[in-house]
Amino acid sequence: MRHGRILTIVVCGALSLAAFADTAPEDAADYRKSVMTSLRGHIGAVSMVVRGLVEDRGHLVDHARGLANGAREMSHLFAEGTNVEGSDALPVIWEEPEAFAAAIEKSQQGTAAFVEVVEGGDMEEIGAAFREVGMSCRGCHDRYRVSRD
Amino acid sequence: MSRATDRALLLIPVAVALVAAAPAFAQDGSDSDPQADVLERGRYILHAGGCITCHTVEDDAAGLLAGGRALESPFGTFYAPNITPDPDTGIGCWSDEDFLNAFWEGTNPDGDHYFPSFPYTAYTGVSRDDLLALKAYLFSVEPVVRENREHDLALLVSSRTAAGAWKRLNFDAGRFVPDPEKDDEWNRGAYLVRHLGHCGECHTPRSRTGALLPEREMAGSELGDEKIPNITPHRADGIGRWRASDIEYFLDIGMLPDGDFTGSSMVDVIEDNTSKLTRADRRAIAAYLLSLPPLPDED
Repeated sequence: MRHGRILTIVVCGALSLAAFADTAPEDAADYRKSVMTSLRGHIGAVSMVVRGLVEDRGHLVDHARGLANGAREMSHLFAEGTNVEGSDALPVIWEEPEAFAAAIEKSQQGTAAFVEVVEGGDMEEIGAAFREVGMSCRGCHDRYRVSRD
Repeated sequence: MSRATDRALLLIPVAVALVAAAPAFAQDGSDSDPQADVLERGRYILHAGGCITCHTVEDDAAGLLAGGRALESPFGTFYAPNITPDPDTGIGCWSDEDFLNAFWEGTNPDGDHYFPSFPYTAYTGVSRDDLLALKAYLFSVEPVVRENREHDLALLVSSRTAAGAWKRLNFDAGRFVPDPEKDDEWNRGAYLVRHLGHCGECHTPRSRTGALLPEREMAGSELGDEKIPNITPHRADGIGRWRASDIEYFLDIGMLPDGDFTGSSMVDVIEDNTSKLTRADRRAIAAYLLSLPPLPDED
């Protein structure tokens, strides 16, 4: 498990370097922020359906897949050198790469599982699974992002 | 609320008080074990009262509720005591009256005054049944031998005599009295926010002497370097745009209405306290907060 995680970090790091080789760190940080903002949108939308505030469930699976896709992309968003001034990402991300990679892996697993539950269509199960996704998000924000009051 | 008003409201039928102060978890009374029910209620009060957040050190092998957590303040650093039932270093020798006096009167078993870092100014409103259930639960946890750490306070405020003087100026003892003009949900929310959950300890600003400013209830404050948000229903500065459902969901998992997540010191409160409450209690908190006067931030 440990070796697999380290391999994941190495591979993701290599991919990140490749993906952002010609990208200015500031642009990479802005791109990251845009992706994270899109995830926030999906979360907000799903929560309104889960809480029964919005009746139309037709796009729930799209939002769930959006979350899962974003979580997969997160592995490539935190390349070395993208901790630019003004970024909300905390240095601990790069100081504890293994722990951070584990947190991302957990969010990837959680969002992938959430897609399956949404496809199942049971709203009670969807609510419970979404709560788990939310807890995973909160855990990372608490440790790896500048606090938002 | 004045003491005279308190006395007048004591004439309200007891049944109203019981409804408002009753624990929110189900009690069918059929085949339940009374002792187990008390412990379950006590565990719930432990969470609703936010005891773990202050009395447990994060990442500390010393154990649950064994104290030691630092609370920074303008007057110095307070260290929360050991509240496990160890007879020497914890509260294992406390009687019921000792326990009630601590919460209701702000005094320890020797009669000395507590510093208001222990929020007895809020806890004074908590019901006897809730407190004794909490005591029963605390006495059921693993005793931990851990000496309390002395507070590190400025000289002028460091004595128990100074704590007593502060109390005479700033403290009115008295149980929560439901408002008969409000419904049960509002009263439950008021009980949780003002007393058991002691939300104002962080969210209400203080005077220079450290007293909460009632006219600015929940209008935001500062805790060290952290800005504690205004949670009155002011649309621009507070939570006036939040639905009751938004507040309930935030208190459950920490999600803000726009899909973002809190990362502030509220994370611990959500983790140890509000996420453990029933949905009905979180909604009661929301109902109470949304009923407060909408107050803008002060410049």
